[in-house]
Amino acid sequence: MRFDYSDEQYQLRDVARDFFAKECPPAAVRAAWDHDTARDSQRWRKMAEMGLVGLTVPTQYGGLGLHEVDLVLLLEEAGRAALPEPLAETTAIAVPTLVEAGTPVQRDEWLPRIAAGDAVATVQLAGTPSAQAAVVGSALVSAAHIADLLLTESGGELHAVPAGRFEAVAQPSMDGARRLFTVRAETGDDTRMDGGVEAAGKAFDRGAWATAALLNGVAQRLLDMTVAYVQERWQFGRPVGSFQAIKHKLAETLLVVETSKAATAYAAYALASGRSDRAEAVSVAKAYASDAAHKANTEALQCHGGIGFTWQHDLHLWLKRGKALEQAYGSATWHRARIAERLFA
Amino acid sequence: MRCAGWLAILTGSSSDTVRATSCRLAGYRADGVPIVDLDLNEAQLEFRDEVRAWLRRNVGTEPLAPSSTPEGFAAHRAWERRLYEAGYAAISWPRVYGGRDADLLNQTLFDEEYARAEAPARINVLGLGLAGPTLMTCGTPAQCQRWLPSILSCEQIWSQGFSEPDAGSDLAALRTSARREGDAFIVNGQKVWTSLGRFADWMFTLVRTDPQAPKHKGISFLMIDLHRPGVSVAPIRQLNGDAGFAEVFLDDVAVPIDNLVGELNDGWRVAMTTLSFERGTGLGNHLRFSRDLQALVRLVRAAGAADDPLVRDRVAQLYIETEVFRHHSYRALTRLVDGKPIGPEASLTKLYWSEMEARIFDAGMRVMGPYAELTSDAEQAIDHQHWQARYWYSRASCIYAGTSEIQKNIIAERVLGLPRQPRG
Repeated sequence: MRFDYSDEQYQLRDVARDFFAKECPPAAVRAAWDHDTARDSQRWRKMAEMGLVGLTVPTQYGGLGLHEVDLVLLLEEAGRAALPEPLAETTAIAVPTLVEAGTPVQRDEWLPRIAAGDAVATVQLAGTPSAQAAVVGSALVSAAHIADLLLTESGGELHAVPAGRFEAVAQPSMDGARRLFTVRAETGDDTRMDGGVEAAGKAFDRGAWATAALLNGVAQRLLDMTVAYVQERWQFGRPVGSFQAIKHKLAETLLVVETSKAATAYAAYALASGRSDRAEAVSVAKAYASDAAHKANTEALQCHGGIGFTWQHDLHLWLKRGKALEQAYGSATWHRARIAERLFA
Repeated sequence: MRCAGWLAILTGSSSDTVRATSCRLAGYRADGVPIVDLDLNEAQLEFRDEVRAWLRRNVGTEPLAPSSTPEGFAAHRAWERRLYEAGYAAISWPRVYGGRDADLLNQTLFDEEYARAEAPARINVLGLGLAGPTLMTCGTPAQCQRWLPSILSCEQIWSQGFSEPDAGSDLAALRTSARREGDAFIVNGQKVWTSLGRFADWMFTLVRTDPQAPKHKGISFLMIDLHRPGVSVAPIRQLNGDAGFAEVFLDDVAVPIDNLVGELNDGWRVAMTTLSFERGTGLGNHLRFSRDLQALVRLVRAAGAADDPLVRDRVAQLYIETEVFRHHSYRALTRLVDGKPIGPEASLTKLYWSEMEARIFDAGMRVMGPYAELTSDAEQAIDHQHWQARYWYSRASCIYAGTSEIQKNIIAERVLGLPRQPRG
């Protein structure tokens, strides 16, 4: 029995961290806000060349053939960098769903292209709780404008819809580096995937888990920025970080962010090994990560004071990514309700 | 061969070397099993089953009387004796001292089974968990020979004499003095919050041996026989009604110099060693909290609140917290087994579980509403599981072994690296 990442998995994290430090610094995230598509296709290609995009693609399709437990730390780093590209949608959700629920033709068509960095995917799942989820085709979809492939759930079926057969309408949103759309897809016999409701439910769980991993990275970044800032900022003749009022907020934040990572690791394990407690493990991870990120978000802004409330300071790039992801794939409240269903069954 | 991509960057070596090591990660799982593995191996399963069977045969159906009463204490002592005779008193102790050389994982398995069986609370935890390991690390062979056997057999119960009326969170401000006179130290002072002090035979104690030195440098670690002349013990009635801890008054108590553990005036370092033994323990506690949570679910049903959406949200949140604690514990355990130091991160664990425990019992009090006022023997009580008493005790968890605020200071200064605040 062991429950920690291997040295190799930590090395992969370090590789990803160095890569994002170089290729996705805060200035690049800020640039994405002003860019037409918020996408740097060069960066995506480099990620594909390193094998990061194809991490979960089976080796016979040109990927690394790895799984969720290997992917967690990469997603965490993507969150830490506020990466604008849809890594979670493509590598954490679409790829495993294609592998498990796609037809042989769909797998042959898309998996090699995704691994090579030639295709980007996104997903639209009816399971996504939103105010308008009942209206077919109205659930919000991230990165639909640059997606070559849309996996969409409709009437209990999953469809793999290529670009050209779905229409994306931009919806102005909070995080300029994470674009949102409504999508109307033209599905048919040729787009239908083999897996149905169950596969869609698993895809949703993958989305919730991957979002938890991203959130842990966002929260860690917010905490790191704040720990640095409260040591630079002096008032009353000493660093504000020497006051207990500040220290205790940040200690509480570290506590929830650190423990959240353990919960997300377990959800990854549950997904990767097909455990029967998968849905529950995912809800534990997402509910907890959402609340941990909320805590980091609140304390980071509070401890930065006025400067944190400016457009010019980088803090808001992470505040907004975190706030967006907190609600995506089920808020903490939604996941708690799902857990309560089982507890009081 | 594309999978060699990131490894090439990782190793910075030629593509041939990379190919040779490519997909090392994937290779780990030739059998398709993830590197994270929560399954037990055969030896561990066998050990778990053995412990489970023994506990099933030996744990009574009725709980023992509280250890804060004389008859309850005697019953707990008899239980400890049975554990000792079965070889379960301190499985993590080395074999030479009568333990089983159990690693942390087996210790955790034992703790989990113990919690699952709802076996009696241990009464010599301070001896077995703190005094014993401290002696093995800092004591002389003669001291080990003298004290360890009776700690293990529970013939002698140990208590901890650290806190004083004016030295709580600021422990190093302690004032109990020990002055050398011939072959003895003459000890004067007062210790407080001494758990089980009423029934204990021995107390490991911090005393000031050099009043001139800076406060951390003039402290020594002394073993005091509580049956010596000059020692008086006064039980303190706790707010939950139990007399669980005591004040210990030391009035010209002569303590042989052989009872000094470690060097003179090096007691602070010995004490830190003692406290470090707490870090690895309790990783099996997650099961206790999971059981408390199940009890909360039953309480919610009994109170007819299972359909209240706010109650459901609260209970689900607490369930999440117990699950997260389980994952956190397994991760901490793995890191300890891998030989990675935990150090000040132990404060995260203590802060987490103590605050969670208080929230679980607080939720139960709210669920009972006005009936929360009743004690569990009241005819109209919803709660027949001492929920109210346990609520109060859960509040103590946030105070003892370093208050939540002290834990946050430690986390902020020693984990996050924030500047120390000016101290007197």
